[in-house]
Amino acid sequence: MSDAIISARGLTKTFLSGDRRIEVLRGVDLEVGAGETVSIRGESGSGKSTLLNLLAGLDTPDAGTLTWVGSADTGAKRRATYLGIVFQSFYLIPELDALQNVLMAARILKGPGAIELARAKELLARVGLAERAHHLPTQLSGGERQRVAVARALMNTPRLILADEPTGNLDEQTGGAIIELLLGLSAETKTTLVLVTHNVAHAAKCSRQLLLRAGQFS
Amino acid sequence: MPWYFYLALKQLFPTGRRFPFFTAISVVSVALGVALLIVVLGVMGGFAYQIRQTIIQTEGEIQIKARGSIGNYHEVVRRIEAVPGVAGASPYASGMLMVVYQNKPSFPLMRGLDMASIGHVVSLEKFVTAGSLDALDDDAVILSEGLADALGVPIGANIEVYTPLMLARRDSEVILPHTVKVVGVMRFGHQELDKSTIYCTLRLAQELYGLVGDVHGINIRIQPGAKEDEVAGRINAVLPPDMRAFSWMDSFADFLTVLKLEKNMMTFVLLFVVLVAAFLTMSLLLVLVLKKTREIGLLGALGASRRQIALCFCLQGIGVGVVGTAAGLGLGLTVLHFRNDIVRAITRVTGGQELMARFYQFSELPEHIEVRDLVVIVTAALVLSTLAGIIPAVIAARLKPVEALRSE
Repeated sequence: MSDAIISARGLTKTFLSGDRRIEVLRGVDLEVGAGETVSIRGESGSGKSTLLNLLAGLDTPDAGTLTWVGSADTGAKRRATYLGIVFQSFYLIPELDALQNVLMAARILKGPGAIELARAKELLARVGLAERAHHLPTQLSGGERQRVAVARALMNTPRLILADEPTGNLDEQTGGAIIELLLGLSAETKTTLVLVTHNVAHAAKCSRQLLLRAGQFS
Repeated sequence: MPWYFYLALKQLFPTGRRFPFFTAISVVSVALGVALLIVVLGVMGGFAYQIRQTIIQTEGEIQIKARGSIGNYHEVVRRIEAVPGVAGASPYASGMLMVVYQNKPSFPLMRGLDMASIGHVVSLEKFVTAGSLDALDDDAVILSEGLADALGVPIGANIEVYTPLMLARRDSEVILPHTVKVVGVMRFGHQELDKSTIYCTLRLAQELYGLVGDVHGINIRIQPGAKEDEVAGRINAVLPPDMRAFSWMDSFADFLTVLKLEKNMMTFVLLFVVLVAAFLTMSLLLVLVLKKTREIGLLGALGASRRQIALCFCLQGIGVGVVGTAAGLGLGLTVLHFRNDIVRAITRVTGGQELMARFYQFSELPEHIEVRDLVVIVTAALVLSTLAGIIPAVIAARLKPVEALRSE
């Protein structure tokens, strides 16, 4: 494995459900190298999304350590500079067209200039939506929305893309195309990809496959 | 432009989408509150302003009064005119009379004017609606419009004038009234003045009241920019002890205090309308925060800080305040501009126009809005709208991205 860009040691996360304590992650260790593509599979409730949220810094572990190698930033700023996240539900801002949704990542980081605008257009062209740049999310299909979300995740040239079941709301064919796009862009830009998925075929396309079972990698 | 400012604007006024219900309702409610405040304060201010204008246009800003009548008034006028800030002074005599035309009596207030100096204090020409001020001599009078109408007297007709002085004469004497010619009619637009006033020369007034060269008072016009109270103070310094200068504000102090109190109370009460609008904005913003919970989670995931997310929602409150206040200003000033057309349309239906003139002194609804009032209204609306955005902003900022993204 090449040099690690993110390293997790003994991650533990417990949720309270009424009076019950549910231990979702039980001391997970994970190290992802630069340029690597890693898939994480597991049954529903196995802790895949929880692990991804911890890796993204959206949630904090009860125990364990997480290291983002080479990132001087902290907190929200670190997410903007280091990470690109793709969600199952796309989460596009309905008031903004496709181009502005992609640009939003740059707006939050530093404000968009001519370079960022050109990059957003280039990314939309790369995901095959050059002609739909000024369409609102409601005017796009599910697959197109997810492609906009992929372009947005790549906008700030992140070191790591975290994709949480990006094909979960798409049909088989469209889902396959999105996975190909993610893997292709990841290889092209030498960006590390961590893909959480149920789909065995999609997971198999990654360079490393992990299976999460009862809060631990098996 | 910072992203939170951009997104706030886009969420308030999106392009290519239906105008948001939230924005429309919030903006309209703030606009109505602001417009209502402007209209009410404008009309309230108009009453005070109109009274001031009527007094100043008919009597000047300052009046000299004495315990009795003022003798040697030429010397007093000379002294007053030398005071800095005084533009002119004119003596007058006034009192009640009885006038009779074709056996129809009326009891107007007489105003005896010094025709040589009255032009230095007030310009009465513009109020003459029939006849001419130049024709006013010691055998002539000008009537207020209401008096002329009540007596049914035409221009050029003679009327008989009786003074209270005649009542003091012995029973054996025959009371001979003065016969004077009506040479004009005046209308000031103020119900009290227009109802029953008779204007004559100072000499005729002195004769009718047996003043023998004395006057009842002196009207004073001050120079533009001078302050009434300050000039009145300077005049008092040069007056004999039995005379005193009163600014128009002194003369109507009680009335002006009541007007000011009413205006302040109305401002206070009507500010609650803007407050209700602010609460409406806040509740709609809270709904918006709930509706956009997952987007708030996304913004957090993209690297937005809590402070920036709070600013995004706070700016929406400010945006509603700015647009609502601007719309309210426009609406309020437009309603004020067309106030008399609106009142005429309403009174045409309700038939209350004469009642309005009788009770409010003015034949038309006055209006005067001061810049200070506008500043208070605009500031209050903007501050309340900003405060309305703070609570939803804090709630949005406190959402954890991971929980917000998970919300249904």
